[in-house]
Amino acid sequence: MSENLLSVRDLTVTFGPRGRRVSAVDGVSFDVAVGETLGLVGESGCGKSTTGRALMRVVEPTSGTVTLEGLDLTAASGRTLRERRTAMQMIFQDPISSLNPRRRARDIVAEPLDCWKRATGEERRRIVDDLLTQVGIDPVAYGDRYARQFSGGQCQRISIARALAMRPKLLICDEVVSALDVSVQAQILNLLEDLKAEYGLTLLFIAHDLAVVKNISDRVAVMYLGRLCEIGPADTLYAAPAHPYTRFLLGAALEADPEAPRRHEILEGEPPSPLDPPSGCRFRTRCPFATERCANETPALTEVAPGHRVACHYPLRVTVTPGPATTRTGPTGSGPSDAT
Amino acid sequence: MSEPTLLRVREVTTTFDTPTGPLTAVDAVSFDLAAHESLGVVGESGSGKTVLSRTIMGLQPRRGVSVTGSVLLNGTEVVGASEQAKRELWGRQVAMVFQDPMTSLNPVVKVGKQIDEVLRVRLGMDRSAARARAIELLEMVGIPAAATRYSAYPHSLSGGMRQRVVIAIALAGSPQLLLADEPTTGLDVTIQAQILNLLDEVQGRLGMSTILVTHDLGVVATRTRRLVVMYAGRVVETGTTRDVFARHRMPYTRALLESSPKVSNPSHTRLAAIPGRPPNLLDLPAGCAFAPRCAYATERCHHERPVLEPADETGHLFACFNPLPLRAASPS
Repeated sequence: MSENLLSVRDLTVTFGPRGRRVSAVDGVSFDVAVGETLGLVGESGCGKSTTGRALMRVVEPTSGTVTLEGLDLTAASGRTLRERRTAMQMIFQDPISSLNPRRRARDIVAEPLDCWKRATGEERRRIVDDLLTQVGIDPVAYGDRYARQFSGGQCQRISIARALAMRPKLLICDEVVSALDVSVQAQILNLLEDLKAEYGLTLLFIAHDLAVVKNISDRVAVMYLGRLCEIGPADTLYAAPAHPYTRFLLGAALEADPEAPRRHEILEGEPPSPLDPPSGCRFRTRCPFATERCANETPALTEVAPGHRVACHYPLRVTVTPGPATTRTGPTGSGPSDAT
Repeated sequence: MSEPTLLRVREVTTTFDTPTGPLTAVDAVSFDLAAHESLGVVGESGSGKTVLSRTIMGLQPRRGVSVTGSVLLNGTEVVGASEQAKRELWGRQVAMVFQDPMTSLNPVVKVGKQIDEVLRVRLGMDRSAARARAIELLEMVGIPAAATRYSAYPHSLSGGMRQRVVIAIALAGSPQLLLADEPTTGLDVTIQAQILNLLDEVQGRLGMSTILVTHDLGVVATRTRRLVVMYAGRVVETGTTRDVFARHRMPYTRALLESSPKVSNPSHTRLAAIPGRPPNLLDLPAGCAFAPRCAYATERCHHERPVLEPADETGHLFACFNPLPLRAASPS
């Protein structure tokens, strides 16, 4: 096991005044090892973006700690915080609105260098041109164009170049491909994989698209209504989800294959309001396996297989058979027949 | 074909006047849709899929757009029809579900009233009959406590619930053709599955034909019988959904399929990205619009535009000079 670059412990973010308090993120803990990609997946309102922002302290965490390379960012302030934060860069969903339309590509990428006075003159120009080339934008032909002259995919490439300018260790990608067409989405995903290898980056990849998250991640964490449901290696988590919510979520994912079996297990209803989340397990109001215990007792993340942890009192059994195949069965006792 | 043809689209071309010249968003599109049939229209942004669905509906701005060709809906010509004639069709013959349920409802009118409107104006129902039918429709689209929700305003409903209301409005006039333009884009996956199941169910129950317009191949894979693949305003391949997925001949279709990540693939599977980006419709290449991005393009592709030709006798057509061989086209 390699060392952890990022450790998040009991991260909690609440918004709003007393009485109208929205619990956006509630007691989320996870680690991201050096060089790994952790995918953070969930539906809208589950707190995945807020988690990403709280790590950067773009929104202030209400409680909990965020440790980057051994330094507690939640305790840091002022210059220390700003300096440490350069090791962590964020890329956002809407590539067009994250760039100033009236600035040139070169200046956008150079801005972090200018802020921190990392490079000037010829050196600055060389770094910027290298970065643009790296992300597939020809600096000679396009470097002096304005941001408004680029397409969404190109803007996202420029955003990535800007994020890399500070040579960050951790890149937080918040829905970076969801606004792009599939053909462009594939280009950006491949680019991120290449840059990750080249720069030795660690990625926290936040997205709602299950196929995209699986494609890029080593490990995947699933969130529901502000809490972590399940975290584990991408391939085993997708093959054998242990949390009922993960299973429903995967069951709803559409596969671009007409021969794929039609799944009939559909999650009914909608997530409850985070203003008044259910007691105990927050998924219990929609969970077919919920019992009284789920209402009274909040399930803690418990290991069900090596590196695979789940927050459920009645996890679906994960049977790891020898070889790559992994089978899944219903929960002990009262499970329904499986849908595949 | 056993079912009669409900919709006959022939050589439909939609051109917009823009300050930089005419922009042909839909270029000579032809297809048939039988009664009770489901058709998927897929393409990336700018492929003309939304303009096509609006042209079929007869929804165009009054100025700055010209439509040629023919859209025959149940024997009635839509292209060039008067506003009056189109009002006769809308609601009762053809209805549309738009992408954004947040903006397709009137925010200051109760949802029930918005369904009532269709029933009273189009079907001439009286107030109480319309109310009863509206509640019935809300129940049919799976809205719990329909009688209470009748008086709710759109802002108090979630995105999924609003899309159900939009579907209820579309179904109010019992149309024979339902056009759904990206009906689940912007909805969460579990809600998307609910809405797609609902559309499936009402199509079967009411015996409608549906056209599902989407960029998402996953949405059309198991929900439609036939498929039209569009690129830069033209149909590049069409056939049964199974054939288009498994036996596609057009390199763009394959590129589109292979560039989307799949849940069934192991993580870190390298994606076959398509280089470049969709062409500028104001400055289309002389030949095949996909040629600049195509791995199989030859000299001819850059100068001559391929037309749709039959791949077999089942109605599978493709427009390509260098079609993929059938064996290699099967999914690996």
